[in-house]
Amino acid sequence: MADMQVDRRKVEDFLYREARLMDAHAYDDWLALWTDDALYWVPSNDDDIDPERHVSIVYERRAGLEDRIARLKSGAAYAQDPKSRLSRVVSNVEIEDGNDGELIVNATFNLTALRRHRMDIFAGRTIYKLRSDSDSFKISYKKVLLINNDEVIHNLTFLI
Amino acid sequence: MGDTRTMIDYNALVKDDRVHGRVYTDPAIFEEELDKVFSHGWVYVGHASEIPNPGDFRVTDIGRQSVIMVRDDQGQVRLLMNRCAHRANAVCQVERGNAKMFRCAYHGWTYRNNGELASVTYQDRYGASFHKEEYGLRKVPRTGSYRGFVFGSLSPVGITLEQHLGARVREQLDLFIDLSPEGELDVTAGVHKYGYHANWKFQIENGMDGYHPNIVHQSFFENVRRRTGVNLTDLGNSQSPAETRDLSNGHVMLDFRPYNQARAGRMSAIMVTSESGQAYRDALIARYGEERTKELLTARGTHLLVFPNLILIGVQIRVIRPVQVDETEVFLYPAFLKGAPHQLNVARLRGHEAFYGPAGGGATDDLEMFERNQIGLSARVDPWLLLSRGTEQQYLNTDGTIVGQMTDEVTQRGIWRHWKKVMSQAEASARRRSHRGNTVQHVRP
Repeated sequence: MADMQVDRRKVEDFLYREARLMDAHAYDDWLALWTDDALYWVPSNDDDIDPERHVSIVYERRAGLEDRIARLKSGAAYAQDPKSRLSRVVSNVEIEDGNDGELIVNATFNLTALRRHRMDIFAGRTIYKLRSDSDSFKISYKKVLLINNDEVIHNLTFLI
Repeated sequence: MGDTRTMIDYNALVKDDRVHGRVYTDPAIFEEELDKVFSHGWVYVGHASEIPNPGDFRVTDIGRQSVIMVRDDQGQVRLLMNRCAHRANAVCQVERGNAKMFRCAYHGWTYRNNGELASVTYQDRYGASFHKEEYGLRKVPRTGSYRGFVFGSLSPVGITLEQHLGARVREQLDLFIDLSPEGELDVTAGVHKYGYHANWKFQIENGMDGYHPNIVHQSFFENVRRRTGVNLTDLGNSQSPAETRDLSNGHVMLDFRPYNQARAGRMSAIMVTSESGQAYRDALIARYGEERTKELLTARGTHLLVFPNLILIGVQIRVIRPVQVDETEVFLYPAFLKGAPHQLNVARLRGHEAFYGPAGGGATDDLEMFERNQIGLSARVDPWLLLSRGTEQQYLNTDGTIVGQMTDEVTQRGIWRHWKKVMSQAEASARRRSHRGNTVQHVRP
């Protein structure tokens, strides 16, 4: 299917760009990738939880995302002072059609974070719902399944 | 086995208005804390609602000793050491679950969920002197509970749980629990687990510190102000009517009641528990009456430390886990209110997540302060930490508590006074007596 080939290239470009923006702490550019009705979700303790009956590490709509970014930009977010140095690889991209013309995208990531002489590794899978936006996409949904979501985590205040 | 007096002079390290940095950095002091604070004293273990059904269990620690909190087939909550009585294999490998039996995979010894040894593989090669009933899973010598809060002590002797908590702590626990229109918490909403590279006491001191929020959490309060128009910095400035209180026995609190009375409704900007709606309020009044309901709603937001490892803040039960002298884990359990509207409990979760957890917008900055503390402690030209705020203005209240202003260091002084008393005791040698003679204490409200 010719269209799917085009989509794959566009989707991968989009994911790589998002990864680069997160690694660079490019807060405003990253926030601009999201739709107004977006949901950003990092479950706690398990991948499949009911967010109304179980706590999440992150469960944010647009307003929460804006608060997160405003805080990180404020100069008073001490958990990112100094900032984490980040490098992540995004791979294993799988694309399927979702509802209302959205694409459902699965991808894995491997992220190394360096802060104050310590290196931490985070890994997991991300499920996106991407909505076409001019020649690219916007994120309407992003669920990050950390393999260590039931372990002690020291600092997750950078963007994942 | 006579008493071994401590070699560390705690009077020289803890003064009325300051502490020596060594209390956060000395591995020998940390080892003594594991013995005197976390083995000899009462330690919070978990909440009974985490294990509602027979066979439900959760593995946790008392100090650094692995313990299984389990509800046995008769419905009794038990605290069992997670160690096979044969050759010390851990009998439980997962953090939570349900089990009729705990089977040691090494040689197959199998225990009932009340700890009794049910079967021994090839028992015929043990002699006549071997009695199976002597080799159950070892019990935590003393267990106790108060309205679902389960505590354990690894010492068979010592003050009772009722004496440890005292009426003042029970009163505060009641205020936290009775926000449920059924008078019960439901602690089944999972857990945030975070860690930091610094001493465990920084967390208990900071949780009860009313001086830091306007500085450390400026970025959070600024978001609140932008969203709601409410500037909450009047809670934590030096004119705030909120109070610091020393309840004795190391238990201390930030008391928001005077603030909530003077500035009714302002906390609703962050305390989602107040966005309750009429249905919730009516349910509280139906159970407790008008007066008590008003008292309960005014007390929301209280910060309470139950020495040494339990903190109640907002909607959460927080447990501090000492790992090493400069390494700490903290588990945060948001509590649902049984009988409250579902949307209220959901709002409690969302409000909790915004500030707490490893990606939250508040507590993560506290952890950063603890790590900066630990770095700063390496500079020892003047090794003292000053804790003198409000020393001259604090007063002894008629209820026996020491009370200061929100930004005073009454709470830190209360923690250290008790810490010094506990640490100055002789080694907890009584602990080494027989593992039998367990006691179970249920403290009545």
